[in-house]
Amino acid sequence: MHECSQLNEMKMDMTGLNMLAGWAVNGDTILMEQMPIFGGYCGGVEETAICDVATTLASFVMFGSHIHLDGPIHIRWGITTARETLQISSHVGAALDRNTDLLLSNQYYPTAGPCTEMCLLETAAQAIADTASGRELISGSAASKGVARDKSTPMEARIMGEAAIATAGMNTSVVNEILDRLIGSYEAEFHHPPKGKRFQDCYDLKTITPSNEYLGVYENTTHILKELGLEMKYR
Amino acid sequence: MVASKPVSVFETYDRFLSGKKTREDTWDYVTVPNNAALIKNKYNLEFGRKIIPEDKDEMDRLFQAGVEMLVTTGFFNPDLGRVMYVTEDEVFEGIKKAPKKLRLGRGKDEVVCERRRGNAPEKPIIQGGPTGAPISEDIFVTLMQGYAQEAVVDTLVSGVMSTVDGHAPTANTPWEIKATLAEIRAVREGMVRAERPGMAI
Repeated sequence: MHECSQLNEMKMDMTGLNMLAGWAVNGDTILMEQMPIFGGYCGGVEETAICDVATTLASFVMFGSHIHLDGPIHIRWGITTARETLQISSHVGAALDRNTDLLLSNQYYPTAGPCTEMCLLETAAQAIADTASGRELISGSAASKGVARDKSTPMEARIMGEAAIATAGMNTSVVNEILDRLIGSYEAEFHHPPKGKRFQDCYDLKTITPSNEYLGVYENTTHILKELGLEMKYR
Repeated sequence: MVASKPVSVFETYDRFLSGKKTREDTWDYVTVPNNAALIKNKYNLEFGRKIIPEDKDEMDRLFQAGVEMLVTTGFFNPDLGRVMYVTEDEVFEGIKKAPKKLRLGRGKDEVVCERRRGNAPEKPIIQGGPTGAPISEDIFVTLMQGYAQEAVVDTLVSGVMSTVDGHAPTANTPWEIKATLAEIRAVREGMVRAERPGMAI
C-alpha cells in the first residue's frame, strides 16, 4: 500500500497531492492517514469526532484513497489510547460503518514502553474498541508514543491481534463495560508511564524470540484481561 | 445538484488553484473550531461516557455532521493558501466509488480486507509493525522478521530507519530517499526470512 498523510486539521499540501497523483495514475492501492488532535484546533471530543468524520470522507472523496488510517491523538499525552481519543475513534468508526461501506483502519500509540503490562493493556484497549466499532484493519503498535528509538516489539502486535480476535462478535454493551474498567486500570499512570525495554533488551536477537520476562508479562496481562471479561481464544 | 462524476486528485488540485484565499492562522484558529462547534450544536452531539456508541440515531447524526463539516468548511492547501470545496452529492459519489474489498499481498500470504458490519464475528486485518516509530539501522531486518513471524499478523507496517549508512534521514534531502528505500528492502528481507515473502506492506 502507498501511504500519504493529510495535515492537521482539514489540510493537504502539494507534496502529498503530487505523490497521490503518481499513485492514482499507476493504479496503486492508496492508504491515506489523518490523526486529528483532541484538544487542538478542533476542540473537544465531539468537535474532534466531527472533523475526524470529515477528514475520513475527504480521503476517499477528494484524494482517491482506498482505505483510511485514523488515529486521534491526545494533545496532553500524545497517545491514541486515552479515554477521550478511544471514544472519538470508536464513535467515528461506528458512525461511518453504519452509514457507508468504506474501509476503515486505525493506528496505535500507547504511552508505556514494551515489556510492561500497561503497554499491553493500552494496546488491548484500543484493539477492543477498534474491533467493536467496526474497523477493517488495525495497525500497530508504536509503543512509548512512537518517539523512543527501538521501543516497539512484535509482542505488542500480538496482543493487538489476540485482543481483536477475542472481541470480534461480542455484544457492544459488554464491550463498553470491559473498556470502562480496562481504561480505568491504566489511565491514572499517564503522568509516569513505565518506560519499558528496547527490542534488543527484551528479545533474543539470534533466535528472534521474546525473553522469559516478556512472556511472563504477556501471560499476566492475559489474566488481567480475562478477569475484566475478555477471554483470549486458543489459550 | 447531482454530481457529474467523482472528484479526482487532479480535479482537487484545480479547485485549490481557483479556490478562495485564506490565511492559515485564520483557518486554524477561526474557521475549523468555529464550524466544528456550530455543527456540534446543530446536531446535538454529546457522547456521554460510553466508548462505543450504542445509540443509532447519534451515530447517524455524527455522520451527517461530518458530511456537513466537509461540505461547508472545505479543505485548505497551505502551499497555495486556498480552500477547495466539494458538494454533498460529490461526497456520496466518492463514497460509492471507494472499494469495499482490497486484496493485500500475494500467494499464500494474501489476505482480503473487506467490509465488516459493526462488531462482526470476523476479525479485522492485523497489520503489525512499529508504525513509524524510530528503529536502529542494525536491528531493522531482525525486528521486521519478528513481526512477520507472529501468527496473528496478516500484513506489515514499517518503522522509520533512524540512520542510513550512519547518516540521519533528514527530510527533503537525498538521505531521506535512500533511507526510505532501505526501509522497504529491510521489511521485505524480514518477510522472506520469516518465510512469508508475499505479505503486504
